[in-house]
Parts: sequence; C-alpha cells; structure tokens
Amino acid sequence: MSRLAKILGAGVALAAVLAVHAAAAQVWPSEGPPPPLAARRVKFPSYKIKTLANGLQVLFVPYHEQPSLSYRLLVRAGAVQEPGDKPGVASFVAAMLNQGTTSRSAKEIANTIDSAGGFLGVGSGNELTFVNGAVIKDQTDAALALVADVAQRPAFAEDEIALQRRQALSALQVGYDDPEYLAGAVFDRIIFGLHPYGRPNEGTPDSIARLTRGDLTAFHQRWFAPNNALLALVGDLTEDEAFVAAEKAFGSWARRDVPDFKLGDLPPAAKRVVIVDRPGSAQTEIRVGHLAIPRTHPDYIPFDMAVRILGGEGANRLFGVLRTDRGLTYGASADLHTFKVSGEVVAETDTRSAATGETLRLMVDEFARLQKEPVHPAELRGAQDFIAGNFPLSIESSSAIAEQVLSRLFYGQSLDEIETYLDRVGRVTTEDIQRVSRQLLKPDQLSIVLVGDAAAFVDQLRRLGFTDYDRIPIAQLDLDSPTLRSTAGGRVPPA
Amino acid sequence: MLRPSWRRGVVAAIAALLLTSAARADIVRPPKFDYKMTTLANGLQVVLLEDHSTPITHVAVWYHVGSKDEKPGRTGFAHLFEHLMFKGSKNIKPDQHPSWITSIGGEANAETDEDSTIYWETVPAQHLPLALWLEADRMASLDVSEDKFKTEREVVKEERRMRYENQPFGRLQEIIFDKAFTTHPYRHQTIGSMEDLEAASIGDVREFYRTYYVPNNATMVLVGDFDTGEAMNLVERYLGRVPRGRTVPRDIPREPQHTAESRFTVSESWPLPAVVVSYHITYDGHPDAYPLHILAKILSDGDSSRLYQALVYEQQVALAAFGEAKLIEHPNLFFAVAIVQPGNNPASVQQELLRQVDRVKTEGVTADELNRAKRQFARDYILGRESVRQKALHLGHAAVIHNDIKTADGEFDLFQNVSLADVQRVANTYFTPENRMLLTVMPQTGPSVGGNGR
Repeated sequence: MSRLAKILGAGVALAAVLAVHAAAAQVWPSEGPPPPLAARRVKFPSYKIKTLANGLQVLFVPYHEQPSLSYRLLVRAGAVQEPGDKPGVASFVAAMLNQGTTSRSAKEIANTIDSAGGFLGVGSGNELTFVNGAVIKDQTDAALALVADVAQRPAFAEDEIALQRRQALSALQVGYDDPEYLAGAVFDRIIFGLHPYGRPNEGTPDSIARLTRGDLTAFHQRWFAPNNALLALVGDLTEDEAFVAAEKAFGSWARRDVPDFKLGDLPPAAKRVVIVDRPGSAQTEIRVGHLAIPRTHPDYIPFDMAVRILGGEGANRLFGVLRTDRGLTYGASADLHTFKVSGEVVAETDTRSAATGETLRLMVDEFARLQKEPVHPAELRGAQDFIAGNFPLSIESSSAIAEQVLSRLFYGQSLDEIETYLDRVGRVTTEDIQRVSRQLLKPDQLSIVLVGDAAAFVDQLRRLGFTDYDRIPIAQLDLDSPTLRSTAGGRVPPA
Repeated sequence: MLRPSWRRGVVAAIAALLLTSAARADIVRPPKFDYKMTTLANGLQVVLLEDHSTPITHVAVWYHVGSKDEKPGRTGFAHLFEHLMFKGSKNIKPDQHPSWITSIGGEANAETDEDSTIYWETVPAQHLPLALWLEADRMASLDVSEDKFKTEREVVKEERRMRYENQPFGRLQEIIFDKAFTTHPYRHQTIGSMEDLEAASIGDVREFYRTYYVPNNATMVLVGDFDTGEAMNLVERYLGRVPRGRTVPRDIPREPQHTAESRFTVSESWPLPAVVVSYHITYDGHPDAYPLHILAKILSDGDSSRLYQALVYEQQVALAAFGEAKLIEHPNLFFAVAIVQPGNNPASVQQELLRQVDRVKTEGVTADELNRAKRQFARDYILGRESVRQKALHLGHAAVIHNDIKTADGEFDLFQNVSLADVQRVANTYFTPENRMLLTVMPQTGPSVGGNGR
C-alpha cells in the first residue's frame, strides 16, 4: 500500500469510528430512571438474650452465611473509670489482656488463636473495654476459652508491662505526629475540659511512663466481673450450641460486687479556638463543634437528623459546600457522638493550608444556617429516605446486627427501639428540626481545633475575625494540662 | 477512592485457603459460588450470583483499566477519571448518581488500583433496575464539563495530601515502589503525582473514556436477592444497548530483569525510621503465587508470625514489623517493613529483617507454621465472603484479573496442594540478591514540606 493510501486508509477508518460514536450518541435515549421491582419484606433477624447465673448477659444472633463465629465481650469500664491522674490505665489494661494470663504466655495466646484460624482483638473506649474476634466455627470452644481466660486472669507480668509501655510510648510519638489523632484528642479535651470524657484514651507520654503494675491490677480487679459485662456471639451455631458454649467458657467466672460509679458534672461550654502548630503540614486538619446531649436524651432522634443534614449520609450540606461546589477537601462530615451522660457535635474536614480560612468560615456558616433557616423538606426527606431504605443493608453483616442490639443493651435502652426506630425517624418534621436546632445547636459557642502549619493560615483567620486563638507549638502540646501546654520541656519521651 | 489496603488482604485470601493435605480434613470449606456467566453481543461480561440471605443486591462494574495503563506524564489519571464518572451523563446530572442511590437507602462508590477500576452500588433488592440504568448511562454517555473537571481535580489533590503527604508513613509505599521499579508503571502509585494531576486536561478525559470505558473492556458482577433470568433480562435491556468500542490497547512496558541489589537511604518528616527489604516476585495466578502468599502469612500474619515475634516481641527493636506479597496482574514485589524503636540502629534492624526473610531459603518453614497459615487463610477466606460486596469482589477478581472465573472457588484447592518444599523453593527462586532492594527512610530533622512523588 502506498503511503498516501495508508494515510487515506487511516483517515477513513478514523472517520468510521467517529461516525459510530456519533451514531451511538444520537441513539442513546433521553429517559428517566426505571421503576423498582416489587419490594421485599424485611425483618430484623431474630436474636436471643440470656443472663448466666453469674450475671453475665449473653446475646446470641444466628447467622449462617459462612461456617464462622464472631464474638465480642464488653466490660462496662473504660477511660472514665480511671483514676483522674492516670489517663491511659484502661487502654493499657486492655493491651495487657492478651499479653499473658496466669496459665498462658503471650506467645501461647498468639499461637493458640492464630492456629485456630481466628483473631483476637483488645481495646477500650470512654466507657467500655472489649475483647473481640472471630473464628472458624469448629474452634468455637478453644476461642471462647481463650477470651474467658484473657478477660479473667491477665498476668500483668512486669517484663510484658515494660514491652507494652515502650510500644505505647512509641505509638504516642507517632500519634503526636498524626494530625488526625491530634485534632480528635485536642477537640475532646477542649469540649469536655478535665471531665473524664475529655481524657485521651491512650494516655499521655507522661502518664504512660508513670503507670505501675498496681494501677493495672487495681483497675482490672475493680471492674472486670461477669455481672459488669456483656457477651455477644454471632454465627453459624444453633441457639443451644451457643448458650452451652458460653456457659462452658464463662460460667465459672465468679460474680463480684462492682462499685457504683457516678460521673461528675460537665463543664460549661468552652468556646475555645486552638491551633496546634505543625510546620510543614500539607493540610490543615479541622474540627468544629460543641458539647451536646447524651444518647438517652428525648430529642436524640430529631437532633441526630439535624446533624445528619449538616454532615451525614443522605444529605450532608458540608460535603456539598466544601467538596462538590469548591473542591476544598476530599471528605467532610458532621456527627453526633453520644455517651451515657453527655455528647458532642463535631464537624470535621481537612484542606490545603491556603484554604484554611475559607473552609473554616464555610463550616461555621453552616452551623449558623442550620439554626437560622428551616431545612428544606427535600433535605429532611433525603436523610429519612436514606435511613429507611438502608435498613436491609444495615442487617447484612454479623457485626452490624450485633452492634445494633449491643448498643441498646449497653446504654440501657429498650430493645423495642430497634423495631420502632424507623417509625420514629419517619415522624420527624422540619418543625422538629428547627426546634431542636434552636435548642441544642450552639453556633455561637463553637470550639475549633486547627492542626497545621500556622504560619501559612493565621493571617487568613485574622481577616475572618478569629483573633482570639491559642497557638500551641506541637512540641509543647500537653493533653493533661488545662492550658494544653506543657510547663516542662518537650513531650517526646526518653528513648 | 483509592482501593483501601484491606482489599489486598481479601485478594490474598482469595488465593487463600489451604495448602497441604494435612489441613484438608480439618477445615470447614465455605460454600461454593453457584454463579452464571455470559457475554453480551457488545462484549460486556456478566457474572450473576443469587444470594437470598438478605433482600439486597450488589452491582459492580469492573473496567479493566488502572494506573498501570497510564502514560508517562499522566500518572494518577485512572483514579482522577473515576471521580469524573460521578459528574454527569446524558440523563444524569452531575452528582445525581450518588444522591439517587442514597435516596433509596443504597450505598455507592468506586475504587481504583493498579489494574482495575470498580464502580459499585449496594441497593435494596427491588432497586436493581435503577442501579443498572445508572451504570449504563455513564458507560454510554459520560458528559463532564470543564468546570466540574477542574473542581474534581482539586478534590483529588486534597485526597493525595490527606492520604500521602500529611500523615506519618503516608508515603512509604510510594517510596518503596518508586525505588524498586525502573520501567513498569507499577513504579508510580495510583494517586499519581501533583504535577501530573495538574497537567491533566479535559481532552485527556475524553480520550481515556473512548479508549477504556467500553463494554468490551468491562465486567458486570451482580450478587444478591434476584432471579437470574429476570436480572439477565434487565442487564440486556439497559447495558446491551451500549455500543461496543475499539479494541483496548495493552502496550504496557515490562520491567527488565534486575541484575544487581539496590540500596537507598532517603529522609522524610516522620517520627521514627522505617527500614524495608523488598524482592521482585511474580504475578497473581502464577503457580508460585500460592506458596508466596503462604510465606508472607508465616512471616507476617498475627502476633505468632516470625517478624512480630523476632523484631517486636523478642528483640524489641521495632514498633511494628510486617511483610506482604503483593501479587497482582503483572509481576510485583514482596516487601517487609520494620518501624524502628527509638534507640536502635536502623542498619542493624534492617539486617535483622533481612535475616528473618532470608532464613526461609536455608531453613524452610515448619509444619506447624504451614498448618497455622492454612487455618489463617481459611479464616480470611470464610470471613471474607460474608457480604454481597465481598462475594462480588472475589468473582470480579477471578473474571477480570485471572481471566478465569473458576479460580473464585478453585484456588481453594490450589492452596491445599502447596507443600513445605514449595515454600522453600519460592524463597530461593525470588529472594536473590539481584532481586533485592534495601531501603532506609530516616526521620528528617526540622520542618519539612510533604513530599510530592519523585
């Protein structure tokens, strides 16, 4: 073929391709979305709760998707039960649970669970400590025996304490370089002040260095009792098999008196602006919010809906304003975190340093707008439709099912709430949203945390009128101090 | 979004289950997938698996294009493009796709990795037609404005800053792959570099769409509460009318054989040093892939694993120590990492890491370790197939990356046949000095600016 013919040939081929695409574009119809098929009936899966003679509450949810069993043990004690001057005790106790018991070494525990084809996790939060995991179902008894052993008889050996202390200090060193960790920890501190809800769950370099074996054993002896715990089993067992297995593993755990525990009063709303100065940051990590209501508050559902409109799935004004319209961030959300006696509203995002001021202003404006203007009925409907439609998705996994029952048991709510939740969400009106936004949202008392390269954005803040802020160099940050500043030298623990 | 790293675990687990016959009798085998597979006239592969356990359906569309298909100067484009698939088509306004899905209580997202891009929806079962219609509309008639393109490019740059530049160890993988590869596009991360993201144009968008987003480069996987016949009719109705595209180019440069060990020391604004040992290995689906997965588990899975026991627990020189056999479509890397505890010499920690990895060449692994790894694989395999989305990931991976749907179940048996000798053999095959890279990342002192690729 001549060169010319080749060129022409290519041209013809190209023209043909273009023609095909043009034709396709023409024939692709203009149309709306198709109607749904017939709806299916959806019911929350059956479950069963029994209390063993020693007071341990046991929840079983049958789940036959795979030949497996998942387990989680919740002890009703966490950071808030720690002695006030020892933040980090609860998480340190949790970390020690699988590092040796009176009859098994740390290595044996690891080998037992790994060889069974399972996993075992430990951890703690504000109000609870957990041991959880999953296993192939033929090893149910071995796995539960291990969970029971680590919960009841941790050895707290000095050499294991020394190793976990080093691990915890190094992890904190990494955490103190992680803007996301810092923003969350500082935010909780300024919202809850020195109230136990404001404690950093992981402790601080100083408190971790000071903890003793006595602190750990005292916490464990005081709070770890079957009558202060919940066990959830979800998996491919019969009801009988599950309760027999629970009795076998946990039945001999002796009941014990657990002290009454009452949390002190919450501090007044704080309204602080704190900049944690981290030079060289590529982004500013932002938190905006305030003290809010506990889980059992009568307006929990409408207020949760209001916060979802601000930044939750099915609505999310923040995402629209910050990401969709302006490309200022990858993610933006707002959440209502609730505990037994209090809670917090927190909006969060991250953005390039140069856009810090603009992003912060937009977030603060959205708090104010939610209170000032009635929400559009379509926005509320969006949030309601998401929750209603999402119900069948929310009962797919074994962990999601267990979570819904456990959280009600833990907070002492009626289990009927699981059945009535959708109805109550559906009955919320735009007037309800307006009412709770006026009563419970506090746009004039917002606390703000910015973790980033302060030099790159403080001028932006001043131009926006934020002049009253506390700028703390990252090396001076002390989460134990009311001022958040250390009086001594650096925060980095000795190597 | 970028494919989260847990997925690598799931993919590893696919491969998973079981090695030698010793474990065969021991382990409960998960139920097999009873799927149907067909190809439409326009080239779209369709995989359907009925699963009536919950009244929901998962729809996934795999496009066989990822960051390894990107051209020099356009790194990050496959992922940037993924974001644009939510920015409107003939019958769908920008961002309307996700709002339609949330309005019915569904969930939708997309993920890009080196080899593929997956778009998915999980919806209440009666809304299957909507999900299919949405996917068909953007497969046939994507229409992105210049404005939307530019805004979304900023979003992706923020994603890069968030995931890579602003967190400790965020760039670790980026550095490892940039140093370990010379030629193959696996050298760059799926997120790409800031310069390349900035250089991308709306013209690139149109060309990329025409080239790769065609039914003959796509696989649709449906898992959920539907009747296969009815679902197939709907797929045919909505996706069958999308016109076939041109043949998809596969001109990806190969990584040349490495002939000498390489060593690098770099610095980053991280709080602790990181040391790395890596080896070039084979691709996913190669017979050696299965013993390599097992070897990685023995070295790294759980507190009983060799690296944790030696470096974290016994010697206490590392905050964390882990390894991974990254087995994907083209030959990739085995790498092991230790985050060095303060007060230790990174060079000696690296030597110890190397010693632990290389020990397998001369000593092999024990029968107990092999059996333990089998049980761990069984666990991952079983727990990794609970949800409709997880099931669809396994089927899609088998159909697209292995180009053999039967591996979705069949790998179970391949793993059963792996022996102690196989594990030692692959260590000797791949853990050679020529294949090796030793990398040390030291903390930078003083303020620094987040890195930006090479």
